[in-house]
Amino acid sequence: MKMGNLKNSHLIEGIIWLCGVVVFFVLTYDFNQPIEIYKFGATGWPRVILGILLFVTLGNLFHQYRFGSATQLGRVGIADEDEEDDNTPSKVAIVKIVAVLATPFLYAMSLKPVGFYFATPFFIISIILLFGERRARWILGITLFIYTLLLFLFMVVLNAPLPQGNVSPFYDYSAFVLRMNTQFQQLDLW
Amino acid sequence: MIENFLLGSSALFGDPLTLAIFVFGVLGGMLFGAIPGVSMLTLAAILLPFTASLTPTQGVMLFAVIYCTGTYGGAITAILFNIPGAPENAPTAFDGYPMTRKGLAGKAVGAAVLCSAIGGVASALVMMAATEPLAKWAIRNIGPPEIFALVFFGLAVASSVGGRTIWKGWMSVGLGLIIATIGQDPVGGIDRFNFGFSDLAAGIAFVPAILGFFAVSEIFVQAEKTAKGRYEAPPVNMEFPSFFELWQQKFAVLRSILVGFFCGILPGIGATLAAFMGYGEAVRWSKKKDSFGKGNIEGVISSETANNAATGAAMIPLLALGLPGGALTAMMVAVFQMHDLEPGPLVFYNSPDLIWVVFAAMFFANLSILFIGILETKTILYLLKIPFQFLAPLILLLATIGSYIGRGLVLDVMVMFAAGIIGFMLRRSGYSIPGIVLGIILGKIGEQNFAQGMQMVHYDLLDYLSRPVCLILIVAGTLTLASGLHKAFKTNHASST
Repeated sequence: MKMGNLKNSHLIEGIIWLCGVVVFFVLTYDFNQPIEIYKFGATGWPRVILGILLFVTLGNLFHQYRFGSATQLGRVGIADEDEEDDNTPSKVAIVKIVAVLATPFLYAMSLKPVGFYFATPFFIISIILLFGERRARWILGITLFIYTLLLFLFMVVLNAPLPQGNVSPFYDYSAFVLRMNTQFQQLDLW
Repeated sequence: MIENFLLGSSALFGDPLTLAIFVFGVLGGMLFGAIPGVSMLTLAAILLPFTASLTPTQGVMLFAVIYCTGTYGGAITAILFNIPGAPENAPTAFDGYPMTRKGLAGKAVGAAVLCSAIGGVASALVMMAATEPLAKWAIRNIGPPEIFALVFFGLAVASSVGGRTIWKGWMSVGLGLIIATIGQDPVGGIDRFNFGFSDLAAGIAFVPAILGFFAVSEIFVQAEKTAKGRYEAPPVNMEFPSFFELWQQKFAVLRSILVGFFCGILPGIGATLAAFMGYGEAVRWSKKKDSFGKGNIEGVISSETANNAATGAAMIPLLALGLPGGALTAMMVAVFQMHDLEPGPLVFYNSPDLIWVVFAAMFFANLSILFIGILETKTILYLLKIPFQFLAPLILLLATIGSYIGRGLVLDVMVMFAAGIIGFMLRRSGYSIPGIVLGIILGKIGEQNFAQGMQMVHYDLLDYLSRPVCLILIVAGTLTLASGLHKAFKTNHASST
């Protein structure tokens, strides 16, 4: 079958969008109940949007069939770096990219049990390393600087509540940091 | 008016505590706006409980000042790092960041400083002169059908900028709209798409979503470049725009003031739509349409003038009708309520002192953008010299704190990182991140006003079109969509693969 300028990546992209539309449409039956004061109910608006999404996804596939990944002439607001990069990255680069994508997510998942105060220095070190910095003094110095700056700004100055963790000994460490802050606040520095 | 303004100014500058709060608001708004990863909303969320110990005048004034200077501050990160400090600065990044890549960051930031100040001061003057008549006009002529029509027009404009093709522009806006349907429906309060998380009943909080789509996805883009060995720090340049360059843009400034003021005055719309429409109109009227998105200073000027022009106007529905125009003005309503006050027409009669201190503070805050902004710019440009491997963890952590503080939910941090990953993938495929964000912000407002409007006109769509403002906006939106569709089928393409 002739596929015009369609590539496998376009088909995968289209299938992901279509699956999303179908899944969300099926989920609308979970809340398909009438609202007495509103004729279209809770499903009316989402279903119209899903219909529009279906139309534009098919339009996008048709566009890719005719023109491939070409940028439409006259489009504005597209940075050069938003253009598709066809160079396949090396395996090392792929591993690094996946690690950068996963690290913040792991950090977010650790916030509830471990807490902000304990998990943050490790997170800073991981990100600096993943961005290619290898000088140990710089890594430790910048980690200490960012950690102290954040604690000073959000804990000491703004008293913002941050996750403390709920697993010992991480929770105990958070309690220790907060106790130090209380004692610091009670000092009559002026 | 002048007498009231002088009274307000003397109350502002005559009381040391009020003056200190004003200075704190000016500097805090600029700082939190200009730090990548947090925004004026983060500062406002942190400060909200503390306003209980201030007088109502001081509390509302503080938030109004943060709103003015924070709206400007967000332009700095949009221009320097492609990370808009707030959604209203998203269109600024379209041309501001390409200018930075070309070594023209000084010109872009200088234009943003000047035009934010001009837009803000003009808006503050109109607000002082015409709040009451404009509020009366808005009551008579603006209802849910008009607000829905403006949302429709705004989304049509948003879909025409940012994506690689018109289809991707529409898909981006559609994705934002579907994300906005998560949570309770605005009419019957029925849970939708909550995936078993009770915390999602209130919907996806837009601060984490915005931080994820803008800030986190940009970090991932830079990480990919670093991994591929393609990262290059942008050149630092301190050159400001010349008077001649700015004078050439006088019509763009005037047009954006009008667009910004019109959008700001409508309840629920605020500065974000103003910035998109200011940018969209600049493209529409320009003879060099192709230069937009590649570093055209008019793009920065139009977007920044419009969003600051909307700040003063957004106070009109808030103060005169009690209707907030965005997240920050909604927090101002909370400040009023903390002090047993209700914003609305009675405020003008019961608390004229409060009104005029707030008006004077907004005027001087916009003026201070000019002076402090010029001094601040040269310092801020040095941020570009910080190696990105040291800036990246700081931005990610500030974004983490910014998204956690709003509701105290770790789920919001996860939503932010998920939005970052999705944003990263979508950007690589040519989708429009600002389009998604505008869809998220306007989706609920659009649905709510559509539902109210349909109830008002007894489900007769033709009745919608019998309202003049509504008709103009619907026709303008439809023409924008139709011309986009026409171009999609007729125009040539820049490159073929």
